[in-house]
Amino acid sequence: MAITRRELFTTIAKAGVPAAVALTVGSKALQAEEIPIPGAAVGLLYDASICIGCKACVAACAEANDTPPDTRGDSLHQAPSDLNDLTRNIIKLYKPEDGSAFSFVKRQCMHCLDPACAAGCPFQALHKDPETGIVSWTADKCIGCRYCTITCPYHIPRFQWQGYNPRVTKCELCSHRLEKGLKPGCTSVCPTGAVIFGPRTVLLSEAHERIKNNPGRYYQSRVYGEIDNGGTQSLYLSRVAFEKLGLPELGPESVPARTLRWQRRLYQYFALPALLYAGLVQVIRKSLAGHEQEAHERERETGLRAQL
Amino acid sequence: MSTASMRNAPDRLRYARWERAVPVYGFPVVNRFFLVLVAMTLLAFLLTAYRELAGLGPVSGMNDAYGWGIWKTFNVMVLTALGSGAFAVGIAAWVFRRKRLHALMRMALLTSFLAYACGLLLLGIDAGRPWNFYWIVFPWKWNMHSPLAEVAICMSIYAMIPLAVENIPPVLERLWYFDSRLRPGVERFERGLHKFFPWIIAAAYLLPGMHQSSLGALMLLAGARVHPLWQTPWLPLLYLGAATFMSFGCVAGTTMLCCLVWKRAMDMEVLDEAARITAWLIFGWLALRLLDIVFRGVLGTAFHLDRFAGVFWLEMLLVLIGGWMLRSSLRTHETRTMFLGYILSSLGGMIYRFSPTTLAFRPNPESLYFPSAIEVLVSLGFICMGIAGFLLVVKRFGILPAPLQEWHDMASYFRFRRPYIRWTGYFKHGYYGENEPEVTDSD
Repeated sequence: MAITRRELFTTIAKAGVPAAVALTVGSKALQAEEIPIPGAAVGLLYDASICIGCKACVAACAEANDTPPDTRGDSLHQAPSDLNDLTRNIIKLYKPEDGSAFSFVKRQCMHCLDPACAAGCPFQALHKDPETGIVSWTADKCIGCRYCTITCPYHIPRFQWQGYNPRVTKCELCSHRLEKGLKPGCTSVCPTGAVIFGPRTVLLSEAHERIKNNPGRYYQSRVYGEIDNGGTQSLYLSRVAFEKLGLPELGPESVPARTLRWQRRLYQYFALPALLYAGLVQVIRKSLAGHEQEAHERERETGLRAQL
Repeated sequence: MSTASMRNAPDRLRYARWERAVPVYGFPVVNRFFLVLVAMTLLAFLLTAYRELAGLGPVSGMNDAYGWGIWKTFNVMVLTALGSGAFAVGIAAWVFRRKRLHALMRMALLTSFLAYACGLLLLGIDAGRPWNFYWIVFPWKWNMHSPLAEVAICMSIYAMIPLAVENIPPVLERLWYFDSRLRPGVERFERGLHKFFPWIIAAAYLLPGMHQSSLGALMLLAGARVHPLWQTPWLPLLYLGAATFMSFGCVAGTTMLCCLVWKRAMDMEVLDEAARITAWLIFGWLALRLLDIVFRGVLGTAFHLDRFAGVFWLEMLLVLIGGWMLRSSLRTHETRTMFLGYILSSLGGMIYRFSPTTLAFRPNPESLYFPSAIEVLVSLGFICMGIAGFLLVVKRFGILPAPLQEWHDMASYFRFRRPYIRWTGYFKHGYYGENEPEVTDSD
């Protein structure tokens, strides 16, 4: 006997349920995610304890990226108070009221190994380079939704609020200079070597070396960014608590891996939604037949055209 | 006509069976209120043109700390929840086969379509670089795991295909009655449409289920910046749940309001059914929310004296009182209690959907966001556009449910007032089609 359409669908459903569940539950996303470290990951190591706050890096950054000076504060000096649409890099001062240790801090993109901005970006305008691990922004793909400004746990990407053609501004590690064999603007001018550029592995061993040579100097004797938020490519050493410098304690798991795990599982290979759709079609096919029949009976009773 | 006079109304108005969607006849589309709505819409369009030239900064209160303003957080996050009627009422009617709810389906479909259309238009205006939306047609460029991509893609597809197609039948019906010469073509088109209906309707439940929950997933990535009373792994489910009871409130509440304004009888059987389902949805949602808060161990923060605790208790109490009023209206059959119940619970739900992005959002460093006048005017203008569209459609198409008698009343009204009218093959052929020519289609 030939297979009816109903049988075909039920067979598919019977085979589909275990298959979809297996795909969803057994998929890689379920297991603890290994965040791949890009082969040629480069980054910055910033040692807040030797930064003198001269802001040479702020000016160098603007020059390297060809941004006009942000003189909106007093229309004379380039002295932005925070990162903004003209400022990819800034030096801030943490100075507690009670007179305890103060510290400068350099803020720029952390180039996370698993960046939340790229995880949320709908059309991959923010993209992590698989080679160098630099997180960069592509104007052609950005719809200007500003989701990156919501998702970034370090609050780095900034949106341009003026003009009909707004851009998103963030540190891209001067990738145009790296291509020419130059160092990023900020590291090329730092007088004390508070910020240095290099491969992430080299920077990490340098940081551990400093911690070993100066016991008790650094907060918790650890490097911020080695494991924090799944690991970052901008690494920090500091005398004061990282939280005071705007580097929140996020734990070893990256923000996207922690928060989107279920989301990713449910949509894995689109298996569960497809299954749900097939089931819904079956149910509605039946309801629709019943509903149409009732409507036509009613049409015969009242003489008025059926309304479906 | 107030609820008080409705209580004293003759039984014909109080108890009736909704059997047919009948246009609201006898009221002009263009009246003073409608003109105000149109003026607000035009003003919003003008301001939108200014926004496109000047950028978002000069027209809105958005800043680096609050990257999202009310255009996204109210017009999209909140109003599409109210406009999920096609999803929630539809699932109850078609999947769980609550047959009486079919009477409300056309209202649900229309309100959903208008809410989504206005929300999506404003989303395009809120986007800083909307010309790049064309990536939406290249699936391999999507970031499949981004909740925002899911929302943007799924919402546009849903509004443009399943929701739009589901709204075609009233239009076809209007054409069918408009001129008897159109009938064979309309019927042929309808037959073709009905073949695709199961697939369309199923998509109309899958897609909103996906994007209404993804709207909640959006704020998961914001992490600790959302207050712990709201930030939970269950945020997607809670967002979806809020959308279900809010949309029941929107559909049933709007229908009741229309009945009141245009003196239509209410079908208490349908309204009771809707209220019963809404009450269950509300209590289920409240239980889930409270259990989640208790098990995450953040109940203590609800008793701090700060704005977060205030907003939390406001939304919980509004939803709870609304749900309780709906329950009690089932016993007393007081339409007033039922209507207020819908209003309060939907209001609570609206605040809940609004909170994680705005009221309970704590950017670091602390900063303030308050919408600017232009922002509010544009937001209102797009809402007014939806309302104007609703008034226009309800008066020209069979959307609002009514007793059978209403249809016959409409027929005699038009026979008397508009003897020349042509959309009345109905009159030509009599009430019961007794004079219908026995010509079969030759196609």
